[in-house]
Amino acid sequence: MLLEIRDLRVKYGNIEALHGISFHVEKGEIVTLIGANGAGKTTTLHSIMRLPPPEAPKVLSGDILFEGMSLLSTEPHDVVRKLHVALVPEGRHIFGNLTVMENLTLATYARKDGASAISADLDRVFDLFPRLAERRNQRSESLSGGEQQMLALGRALMSKCQTLLLDEPSMGLSPLLMYEMFRTLKRLNEQGLTILLIEQNARLALRFAHRGYVLDTGEIVASGSSAELAADPAVKKAYLGG
Amino acid sequence: MESLIQNILNALQWGSFYSLIALGYCLVYGVLSLINFAHGDIFMAGAYFAFFGATFLLGKTGVIPPGMPGWAVLALTIPISMILTSALGVTLERVAYRPLRRKGAHKLYVVITALMCGLVLENGNLALFGASRKNFPTLVPQIVYSLGGVSVTNLKVAVILVAVLSFLFLHYVVGKTKIGMAMQAISYDRFAVPLMGIPTDTVIVFTFVLGSSFAALAGVLFAMSYPVLDPFMGALIGWKAFIAAVVGGIGSIRGAFAGGFLLGFVEIMVVAFFPSTFRDLIAFSILLLILSLKPTGLFGVARRTKI
Ligand SMILES: Nc1ncnc2c1ncn2[C@@H]1O[C@H](COP(=O)(O)OP(=O)(O)OP(=O)(O)O)[C@@H](O)[C@H]1O
Ligand SMILES: [Mg+2]
Repeated sequence: MLLEIRDLRVKYGNIEALHGISFHVEKGEIVTLIGANGAGKTTTLHSIMRLPPPEAPKVLSGDILFEGMSLLSTEPHDVVRKLHVALVPEGRHIFGNLTVMENLTLATYARKDGASAISADLDRVFDLFPRLAERRNQRSESLSGGEQQMLALGRALMSKCQTLLLDEPSMGLSPLLMYEMFRTLKRLNEQGLTILLIEQNARLALRFAHRGYVLDTGEIVASGSSAELAADPAVKKAYLGG
Repeated sequence: MESLIQNILNALQWGSFYSLIALGYCLVYGVLSLINFAHGDIFMAGAYFAFFGATFLLGKTGVIPPGMPGWAVLALTIPISMILTSALGVTLERVAYRPLRRKGAHKLYVVITALMCGLVLENGNLALFGASRKNFPTLVPQIVYSLGGVSVTNLKVAVILVAVLSFLFLHYVVGKTKIGMAMQAISYDRFAVPLMGIPTDTVIVFTFVLGSSFAALAGVLFAMSYPVLDPFMGALIGWKAFIAAVVGGIGSIRGAFAGGFLLGFVEIMVVAFFPSTFRDLIAFSILLLILSLKPTGLFGVARRTKI
């Protein structure tokens, strides 16, 4: 198993946000986590990335295993540079005071595989998102919301990730761009990228993912293949609009 | 005319001291939004480390025989002071600021902590080495160049040169290198920095090293120019440098330099025309006026962009 969340309980301050959730992601899979606002989806991804306090939730019990090794005492930058996991965070979090190019360069901070590999990846990102190439010297603050989302994804790809955690990546994208991005992600997955996806649009998420879990106020209430979940009456009613 | 040029040279010298110290406020504030009120005392520590380094190397302690030439002592004293002062700055960050950051403490507590750190440094110095002032040894003989009634010492030229080179160096490091970009990234959105595989704390430590090193450099040059050291020497000059950084636009390196030199000029020019007791009154009134006209400082940018 590539990533295994085992009976994870976390809290913010005194409020428990996850009440013992378990799920796993196999290498090469696309897995989605669906759930209503406040269910704990972002919390789950932040826990996996081991983000530092004060932002991060505190683990009460349970474990997060990556290739069988516990991540609980791993630093967040090591999750990125040693385990090659990347997160495209909710709300993008691009560095608005830097240019597009500088944002992408910064994501290669810890890479040791040389300039030619990096420039090949840069070409790939610009291939995927020609708009970023056009705006490479623009301060990223001045990009449109959708362009910022492309930059956030491009940045993750520049970090040479093999596992990609996506927190509502379609936010702010036009339908056309959204489908384009999902096609791109699918292609990257076929080339070996493992994806854990959170998406408001559950219908789209279940079409895209192999498997899924349903998270409801800090607990996993359903799981199965995307087809199974999409056919589940309860899931249909709560997340797919009947 | 001669006296004007003379005054300009003096202003440049004081501006250099203020700028070199203002930089440290600027870098730390830019990266952490923390006003490191201990920074003036870091400057003081830089001067003291230089004092101890130089007296040790001159053999006055009896540990090594005297005879090392002055320039060699100076060449060793500067890095010694920079390294020890950086270590002190980093220690403050580790034991005082980082724990608060981890707990998500409110800015007010962090600023008060910084103030207290400064007091601890001042009074720690007082307790350890006593109230008597220390005389900084002469390491390099002063050479006075006279050009048509204007006289300038080799030291003054060196001070100004060091400040200008420091500016160019920092401008390059912050603007063009990866670690500089990481510093800018932290100032904008600290949350996302580790997601880029960047160890945030390492970048923060680097920031303190930079700020403290330049404060040490200012300390050495100041001790050579005004060779009487006392534990509270960093307090007023630290405050002034901080004000200079704010007037220049805190968080901007150009601003720190502009503010430092501006303060140097205003002070010297006030003294040229008014009794010297008026110096700080008029100087700070002018700075107050500038801030009320441009609250973000000369080079300040509104909102989140710093450094
Ligand atoms: N930093 C925080 N401090 C305190 N409580 C938090 C924090 N972040 C999230 N929470 C709480 O934890 C719960 C789960 O939040 P989380 O952000 O994980 O939800 P989510 O499933 O991502 O929702 P959304 O779909 O709206 O993004 C919520 O009740 C939220 O109020
Ligand atoms: Mg969320």
